[in-house]
Amino acid sequence: MELLDRYLQAVKKHLPWQRQDDIIAELKANLEAQLEDKEAALGRPLTKAEAEEWLKQFGHPIQAAARYQPQRSLIGPALFPFYWYVLGIALFWATVIYAIVTVVLVATQTPGGVDALGFVLRLPGLWMTAAAWVTLIFAIIEYAAARCPGKFPMLAPPSTNWSPADLPPLQPEFAGGKKPRSFAGAVTEVIFGFLFLMWWLLIPKYPYLLIGPGVFYIDDWGHVAAPFHWAPVWHAVYWWVLALHVVRLGWQCLDLKFGRWQRPRTVQQIAMSALGLIPLGILLAAPGQMYFTLRHPEEDAARFGAALQSINLAIHWCAVVICVISVVTVVVGLGRMGLEAYRKRVAGMPPA
Amino acid sequence: MTLIENLFENLRLELRRGCLTLAVLAELHQEYYGYTLRKALADRGLEIDESTLYPLLRRLEAQGLLTSEWREEEKRNKRFYRLSGDGEQIFRQLLAEWQAINASVNTTVHNIQ
Repeated sequence: MELLDRYLQAVKKHLPWQRQDDIIAELKANLEAQLEDKEAALGRPLTKAEAEEWLKQFGHPIQAAARYQPQRSLIGPALFPFYWYVLGIALFWATVIYAIVTVVLVATQTPGGVDALGFVLRLPGLWMTAAAWVTLIFAIIEYAAARCPGKFPMLAPPSTNWSPADLPPLQPEFAGGKKPRSFAGAVTEVIFGFLFLMWWLLIPKYPYLLIGPGVFYIDDWGHVAAPFHWAPVWHAVYWWVLALHVVRLGWQCLDLKFGRWQRPRTVQQIAMSALGLIPLGILLAAPGQMYFTLRHPEEDAARFGAALQSINLAIHWCAVVICVISVVTVVVGLGRMGLEAYRKRVAGMPPA
Repeated sequence: MTLIENLFENLRLELRRGCLTLAVLAELHQEYYGYTLRKALADRGLEIDESTLYPLLRRLEAQGLLTSEWREEEKRNKRFYRLSGDGEQIFRQLLAEWQAINASVNTTVHNIQ
């Protein structure tokens, strides 16, 4: 039957070359015997349509040939959970390290550095490279372990050589995943909050409380004229920080008064981090990124111009870094809240 | 195929996989070639696809549980299989395991019914 021979020829192409002839001869004998039985039962040869339908039952030639291959997987089920775990860690740290390197290159204005858009555009390539290396290493481990079982005990999946005694000690579970604050901790926070408030209120009158000896360059002392001057942007930043701190302190006092200090403060912390972006935004939006200016530009530009530029640049990048950390804190906080809510909804548990 | 039907099909295949190996080993106490083995199993109510049975015979032979030889029958060369010594030993162990599982499952199912 020509159709059967064509089918067997197609299957043969995908079989391992050492066993091709043997397998095809056996398959042919079996299928021909089956065909004979079928035709004997019908009392006539199969029509072309019937033969096609019959051969389709054996599956596509590639599928049919694959069943004669040993079960193959790049990373087997025993190793896969460890592969997945390591892959997650590798991708996370690759991203963190790349982000740090990018910030440093941008801050130092190193030639060849990338901007924010370049950072985002290069991330998929970075992830693929990290994933490829991790996959390659685990594929080699899988291959070595499968070919020579027992010969490389160090390559055996951790599932075979671990001890329950090595597990980390039991950690108590708390509502919201965090240890509840103690009363002493809550009181300490309020006390330090008031101390910070006092310190902050005194800064306009005694700026050395904030910038230490740097004040000699800002305020006139005796007959020595200071070269620098606070830029107007600090005024708005000062009042925003004061207002946010008063809100936070008030919140903490109310928690203490009504006995709510033990409750998780996830929403409060996210809200304060988000509001904290306002003074940072004002700082970053300062005209010309000038945080200090020269009192007498004509006279002092030659002597203090370079120092002033360095100070302004340093403050700007500090604000950028704090801003990035705040945004990450808000995003991570919101993400955790969302995940926690989703987890509880899936598990059918009541919200905390 | 709906999701439930698909799930049932996957679970059914998983359930049958181990049983088929045991049935093939049991049947090959007598010599068969692929097609006649399939017919013998079908006569006992155990339908098995050619695409599953023939590669399974190859795997069991590669694992040393079956022996095989080419022989001419009805003017056609056919590969005949039979249980090997190791195959017999494994078959006994699997049979004991199967009977224990079967008894436990029967008891459990009986209690539910």
